[in-house]
Amino acid sequence: MHPAGCGIGLRAPHVTEVLERRPAIAWLEVHAENYMTSGPARRALERLRADYPVSVHGVGLSLGSAEGLDAAHLERLAQLVEPLEPARVSEHLSWSVTGGTYLNHLLPLPYTEEALEVLCAHVTRAQERLGRRVLVENPSGYLRFRHSPIPEPEFLSALARRTGCGLLCDVNNVYVTCANLGGDAAAWLDALDPSTVGEIHLAGHAVNDVDGGDAARRTILIDDHGSPVADAVWRLFEGALGRFGTIPTLIEWDTDVPPLEVLLAEAAKAQRRLDTANDVAAA
Amino acid sequence: MSPLRELQAGFRAALLADDERAVAPHVVDDGLSASARLAVYRHHVFASLTAALEATYPVVCRLVDRRFFGWVADQYVRVRPPAGPCLFEYGADFPEFVAAFPACAHLPWLADVARLEWAMNAALHAPAAPALEPEALRALDPAALARLTLRLDPSVALLASRWPVDAIWRANQAGANLTVTVDLDAGGASLEVRRVDDDVVFRALPPATFAFRAALAAGRTLEDAVEQALDADPAFDLAGEIRALLDERLLVEPGH
Repeated sequence: MHPAGCGIGLRAPHVTEVLERRPAIAWLEVHAENYMTSGPARRALERLRADYPVSVHGVGLSLGSAEGLDAAHLERLAQLVEPLEPARVSEHLSWSVTGGTYLNHLLPLPYTEEALEVLCAHVTRAQERLGRRVLVENPSGYLRFRHSPIPEPEFLSALARRTGCGLLCDVNNVYVTCANLGGDAAAWLDALDPSTVGEIHLAGHAVNDVDGGDAARRTILIDDHGSPVADAVWRLFEGALGRFGTIPTLIEWDTDVPPLEVLLAEAAKAQRRLDTANDVAAA
Repeated sequence: MSPLRELQAGFRAALLADDERAVAPHVVDDGLSASARLAVYRHHVFASLTAALEATYPVVCRLVDRRFFGWVADQYVRVRPPAGPCLFEYGADFPEFVAAFPACAHLPWLADVARLEWAMNAALHAPAAPALEPEALRALDPAALARLTLRLDPSVALLASRWPVDAIWRANQAGANLTVTVDLDAGGASLEVRRVDDDVVFRALPPATFAFRAALAAGRTLEDAVEQALDADPAFDLAGEIRALLDERLLVEPGH
């Protein structure tokens, strides 16, 4: 089998350079909402699609909204996905829309049976409209709800089991969530059903010192995609490859976006680990 | 209301209105208070939406400086948060917000600069439509022509200001000559904004041409548009103006 490759999240500052240079990179991932336009960005994406496998990563579908899925937005996603025929389509285990307002963040859900039913209904509807399997990504957590009886990896695995969706495992998010909310990141990965994982995300995070609210200072990790992947996250990634197999992996960088070279070097680091894991699996 | 729906409404109040009463009791606050945890989410929402507005309104931001812009954006996000997830569509009524914002009252031209930037943003993302070929008009008899509604390219916007917003915009581009000063009393601007290939451009139009094209852009019939143009300039040359529209590939096929 051809070893899985590491791609990069394509961001606006790099589009022209990637179009001109066509760097050797396994695949590109784009945020769906940035390309729901008839402007030049859309034409650039169509040109890139001719040369690279592309994955469409939605950030605005708000699968966890209790008030229902935005049908018009799902339609726009379908209009983007259909002609592009991307390798994968993914979204998030989160919500952003309430009262018709889009809060522009991947907001946390209580992991309850009620939320699971909402998620299942919306993922099913999205998969039906798109006519394909969708991958759902674990979020970065900064809070836990008091009533949230289902552990996050089990919630995700149940969602995959009930809807047939796949999972996008963001290893940095696992690390950030476990550090912020208490939990063992390796155990989190072990609790995920490995057969459902179709993609891995990697990114950097910030370590912030904040007022804990009780006059003490606390550390909180912020998933800002603004630095190289942390050493601890690389180790977690190696463990994830051992468990999930070598699957398509992505480097994301969104804050203080560096020169393309830096991003490509980071992807090469992930690629080396994918190749090693692949050799081990083949031996 | 379902518990989840109620929780999400409470989350919104905490993020946009600093009202944490509904959601804080549901948040585990070990190590870090519920308030400090909610602040992480609130910070991202405001920072990312401010960045989106700054991307659409870079000249307004430069004119008032980033800190002041951030404060105006913060107030705007609270009362006019986005209705959808495509952030390039966010901020359509930011110019009106700026026009009514008391702290901007001493900059009466600022809202019109914002209107120009919004028109440029809208032009960038507008649908493409095939240009009308001249033969399509040749076949029509003059009476039918008068009742015709000519459709302009969807990227076109006609924008009139009593301030020289074109000069203000140009003076605030990267690489602009910093020794150039803009005379605010130099008179207004009647501008046409459009996308040409992958670039958005604007230019000033003579009064009659502007009146004519603005009427067409508003969906008026050719007869009405000519009337508007003749009001602006009795020497208005219809044949020449239609030829110019065709030459500039500004007319598109009906239905687009």
